[in-house]
Amino acid sequence: MPTDLLPLVEQAGRNQWLAIAPELMLGLIALLLLVLELVLPKAQRGLIPGIAIVSQIAVLVALIINLSTPYIGAGPTFNGLLQHTGGGQFLRIFFLLASILTCVLGTVSLPRQRMPHIEFYHILLVVTAAMMLLAQANHFVMLFVALETVTVGLYILVSYYRDNPLTLEAGLKYLIMGALSSGILLFGITLLYGAVGAVPDADGRLHTGFEYQTLARFLATHPGNFLASAGIVLVLAGVAFKIGAFPFQIWVADVYQGAPTPVTAFLAVASKAAGFAVLLPLALEVFPSYASLVIPILSAMAAATILFGNIAALTQFNVKRLIGLSGVAHAGYLLLGVIAGFSQPQAVGAVYFYLFAYLLASFAVFGVMTQLGGSDDATQDMDHYGDLARERPFLAAVLAIGLGSLAGIPPLAGFMGKLVIFTAAFKAGHYGLLLVAITGVVLSIYYYFGWIKAACFPTNPDPATPVANTRGPVHRGLGLALGLLAIASVLLGFYQGALGRWLLGL
Amino acid sequence: MANALFYLFSFFTLITAVGVVVNKNTVNAALCLLLSLVGVAGLFALLDAYLLAALLVLVYAGAVVALFLFIVMLLDVQGGVRAPFQRTTAVAGTVGLAVLVAGLAALAGRSGLASTPAPATAAGAAPVGAVLKHYAEMLFTTYLLPVQVVGFLLLIAMQGVIVLSRKFAAEDAK
Repeated sequence: MPTDLLPLVEQAGRNQWLAIAPELMLGLIALLLLVLELVLPKAQRGLIPGIAIVSQIAVLVALIINLSTPYIGAGPTFNGLLQHTGGGQFLRIFFLLASILTCVLGTVSLPRQRMPHIEFYHILLVVTAAMMLLAQANHFVMLFVALETVTVGLYILVSYYRDNPLTLEAGLKYLIMGALSSGILLFGITLLYGAVGAVPDADGRLHTGFEYQTLARFLATHPGNFLASAGIVLVLAGVAFKIGAFPFQIWVADVYQGAPTPVTAFLAVASKAAGFAVLLPLALEVFPSYASLVIPILSAMAAATILFGNIAALTQFNVKRLIGLSGVAHAGYLLLGVIAGFSQPQAVGAVYFYLFAYLLASFAVFGVMTQLGGSDDATQDMDHYGDLARERPFLAAVLAIGLGSLAGIPPLAGFMGKLVIFTAAFKAGHYGLLLVAITGVVLSIYYYFGWIKAACFPTNPDPATPVANTRGPVHRGLGLALGLLAIASVLLGFYQGALGRWLLGL
Repeated sequence: MANALFYLFSFFTLITAVGVVVNKNTVNAALCLLLSLVGVAGLFALLDAYLLAALLVLVYAGAVVALFLFIVMLLDVQGGVRAPFQRTTAVAGTVGLAVLVAGLAALAGRSGLASTPAPATAAGAAPVGAVLKHYAEMLFTTYLLPVQVVGFLLLIAMQGVIVLSRKFAAEDAK
């Protein structure tokens, strides 16, 4: 071997592929699904979604068993591209769980459409693996590549039920908004990169502003740099698009309504969490020396987001729009946690806990919506839920628990999530924001309980709007998942146990 | 010299980019996009990033814009009637511009424009972007993981095109 290749081989050897074994497994499973569709006889292709779900559960179990891998806290891997942390481990589990639940919803929703099935699971798995990498990114190149993989996958998933004009509209709007936000984010990254330049370290290797640690050192030693300030503002704006924070929330209602219900659930939970997976390390570890710039921006955004989401949701009758706009408000509460994180380190754990409670409650609600939504997936009105409690008491109970948890009613998990975030914000002294957030919670009770009320009482029989949903028997897998989600929502409200200790201690 | 060329290429890029937006004829807009990309390629060449400049001309100006033109001509899109500018649009544009200028002014006032130190580079070394070998080495060592992820990105993009455009018979969906 020529000697000038040796340093390269050594450098390539620093790519520790075992550190990202779960992501590799997901990628392989995604490829396997495509192969299976080719080789299996037609009669057995119905097994493929089951294979996707079971193999993901296996990856999840392996991930939980290996929760404390030696890579955590051992510094960056992949030549500085990735950094493994406890929070990253939580987010990996979170995204995997969201993907499994979305697959379960997909097994109910997809057979009602005349569309190919397997590609849905394939794309979903690749997107999930990219999100898991995103949660561990330590380098802007890795971050952007992973984020683009997520976004491109979601463009396809959002417009998956292409027979429906509303779905196509949602896909187009998401495509344009997503491209715009990626452009803004990329511009911000470029400005930061340009501001830092090339920094040689002791052993002569050049470091650039792409690396989080190099950028953080530059920002700490150069307070008030114009290029860096502009870059930070643009990066925050790009991330705000992804989490649907005001004033970048205009796409939310239309896209959530038009997207297939399982994809709406994935957007609401996993995509939002991905935004926070990007925001948390950037805001709290890279940008803290520019806190005087970042905190006012995030504070104004959080207050406006909470108020806009809740007030806009008040007037909605389409439940998908309603849940989308209420999701905007939830992004506002989470932003409050991020802001508190600047002075209260345990606020990060509070954000994680809130995200987990939000996952449980959201998938419970979306599961019921998927079960009740007919073949026309985009028009699900509150009237369709009339008398649900008498006809399908199980679904009505799951719906009530999920909505109650989203509203933050004690003793459900959502209440504990809000409590830990609000406590952290109180300790950090953000009283004004806290007041706005509590106002938002009070407003939200109105529309969440309006929905529960619609499900508990018969609506006025109106022959002009025939009930389009199907009240067939609940699918077994979905019923199991919904039951588990509801039980977890209740239990986590009473007893946080090891999970709460782990998350709040991160 | 390099300064003058920088201004020339920047001006050219901006003018043609405006041309993309304001042109009513889609073919003209696509051709303006092509010229704009050539301008950007010139800027890359000034930065010693010759490979990027060549790739931009080959891939974007050559292949992608040609694809745009094919589709535009295939669909035979006529200019059509475009709604005239409404007053609200103009007002919103002005307000947006004012907010942008105010934001930039606030940032500049906060920090001062010329606060970036000249980046230090290792003396004598050729610029990283100038040598093709450097790109190859980086792609196969440091950036191997992103390259693999991009592979998956292209795979799902291809899947997406199939799913969103192919016709499926009813029994196919079983």
